[in-house]
Amino acid sequence: MATVTARHADFAEPVGAWGRAHALWTTIRRKPLGAVSAAVIVTLVLTAVFADVLAPYDPVETRPEIRLQALSWAHPFGTDDIGRDVFSRIIYGARISLWVGLLAVGIGTVAGMIIGLLCGYCEGRVDLVLQRVMDAIQAIPGLVLALAIVSVLKPSTTNAMLAIAIVIIPGNSRIVRGAVLSTKQNRYVEAAHAIGCRHPRIILTHILPNVTAPILVIASIWLGNAILIEATLSFLGLGTQPPTPSWGLMLSSTGRAFMEQAPWLAIFPGLAISLAVLGFNLFGDTLRDAWDPKLRRS
Amino acid sequence: MYKYVFRRLMLAVPVLLMSSLIVFGLMRVMPGDALTALMAESGNVGEKELKKLRMDLGLDKPYPEQYALWVWQMVSLNPGDSIFTNEPIPVALKKAVPVTLELATLAIILGLVIAIPIGVLSATRQDTAPDYVGRVVAVSGLSLPDFWLGTLVITFAAIWFHWIPPIGYTSLWDSPWRNLQQFLLPAAVLGFRLSAATMRMTRSTVLEVLREDYVRTAWAKGLAGRFVVYKHALKNALIPVVTIVGGQLGTLLAGTVVVETIFALPGMGRLTVEAILYRDYPVVQTNVMLVAATLVTLNLMVDLTYAWLDPRIRYR
Repeated sequence: MATVTARHADFAEPVGAWGRAHALWTTIRRKPLGAVSAAVIVTLVLTAVFADVLAPYDPVETRPEIRLQALSWAHPFGTDDIGRDVFSRIIYGARISLWVGLLAVGIGTVAGMIIGLLCGYCEGRVDLVLQRVMDAIQAIPGLVLALAIVSVLKPSTTNAMLAIAIVIIPGNSRIVRGAVLSTKQNRYVEAAHAIGCRHPRIILTHILPNVTAPILVIASIWLGNAILIEATLSFLGLGTQPPTPSWGLMLSSTGRAFMEQAPWLAIFPGLAISLAVLGFNLFGDTLRDAWDPKLRRS
Repeated sequence: MYKYVFRRLMLAVPVLLMSSLIVFGLMRVMPGDALTALMAESGNVGEKELKKLRMDLGLDKPYPEQYALWVWQMVSLNPGDSIFTNEPIPVALKKAVPVTLELATLAIILGLVIAIPIGVLSATRQDTAPDYVGRVVAVSGLSLPDFWLGTLVITFAAIWFHWIPPIGYTSLWDSPWRNLQQFLLPAAVLGFRLSAATMRMTRSTVLEVLREDYVRTAWAKGLAGRFVVYKHALKNALIPVVTIVGGQLGTLLAGTVVVETIFALPGMGRLTVEAILYRDYPVVQTNVMLVAATLVTLNLMVDLTYAWLDPRIRYR
């Protein structure tokens, strides 16, 4: 009887897109922090998309005559050491951060998902070998690995993004593998085998829809981390290169050098990074509460 | 127990070998090599000298041979010399490891000192002002970049207190006070970051444990509140906390890279970043492998502490 109830509970979970959207909406309405994080993310996305319209100045235009100007109506976040408007650079920086975050997490999630699906579905030798490779990648701290990869590929925004994607793969593959292993035990997968469904069909139509919730939850939390790693790589001079406006680069290039004279050069990019990371972390928590309460402890 | 430790150690061997292959492979596909960087430093070097240098350093050998030689050097604890500075790597490590070790230890201690009391307070005063403050501190710790926090801490200490950490590294044995002054701020920055996840985990596990029957019994028999929380609840709540701390060791080692760069501490992190920039293969390979081996060992130690915290756990 207990088994039947458990199976019923499995089917009762909101698996479809509409059910998930409804669960998310209910959680956001119940938890104000969820609503705040969603608002932060929407603002960030809109800022990135409409940077051309929102930014009052060209982010790379230099005007030495107004260098290191304090906050004013004309320049709400002041100007940097070569007279560039910090507010405009932060607005354009949102574009870089979001672009790197989305692509890195996208690539890392898809690759991690494919490996996790293969490992969880095939098990045996494929699982053993691939998981040992994942262990080996995870044995090296993410930032150190990203640093080494970026040095191999030459420092640039695209390569920083690729490096972050590689760092993301092992953790994602493990979560997907675990979810696949548990989904595989369900009767409907057994039934699909029994009626002669081919493996790709079982994976794509019976297993994949059941593992998307943990994937999306982890991806949203990783977005914040990806933004943080990109900023760190740029801060160390191995990410986005000047004069492209990146929050991490703004902090390392001018923020540190003129910290005492012009503290706004370091304060605003740092605040922007923190706000974006905070938004994604909190939104990840909200998604987890809405879609996958079992993940709360992981 | 011994069988378990032995099996875990045996499983670590292929993982570390695979990590070594990844690191070796990465270093070999890097654009340019240490010699190119050396040439840039010392002006033009003739093709003949370059060839000789390459031969002396063994860079002309086939990759499998270079890999086998390096693995043998690592196993025999003689990883060779830095291509860039000619200094034997063990000598460089002997200077750098204690710095990182001290920084990491202080950061963990400070992190736990911040996290556990606030986590317990948050749990015992659930949904009150101290709980909200604790949760805000935890979430901000997860979101503030450590390089930003480090920069702000240095600058505002200088502006507000007219104080900057002493320049030039002093070892703990030479001058403990000066050394502490140098390490306190970076360790606090790293510790604050580490404390965030630990604080969240402490809060949720203490909340769970406080609802257990044996805790209710402890309350019922009239034990003092502090005694119930710290003696009965906290010890059992610490198991997932240890897992979180263990899982953060990678974050900690990566964090030292950034913090050592900002606070000019000559530790492993800075040594690795500099070696990566100069394509100093032997140093990067050795450092990354050392970090990977340390992480694998520490994770094993974390697993073994579970049995100490909860005698019901047995290893098979």
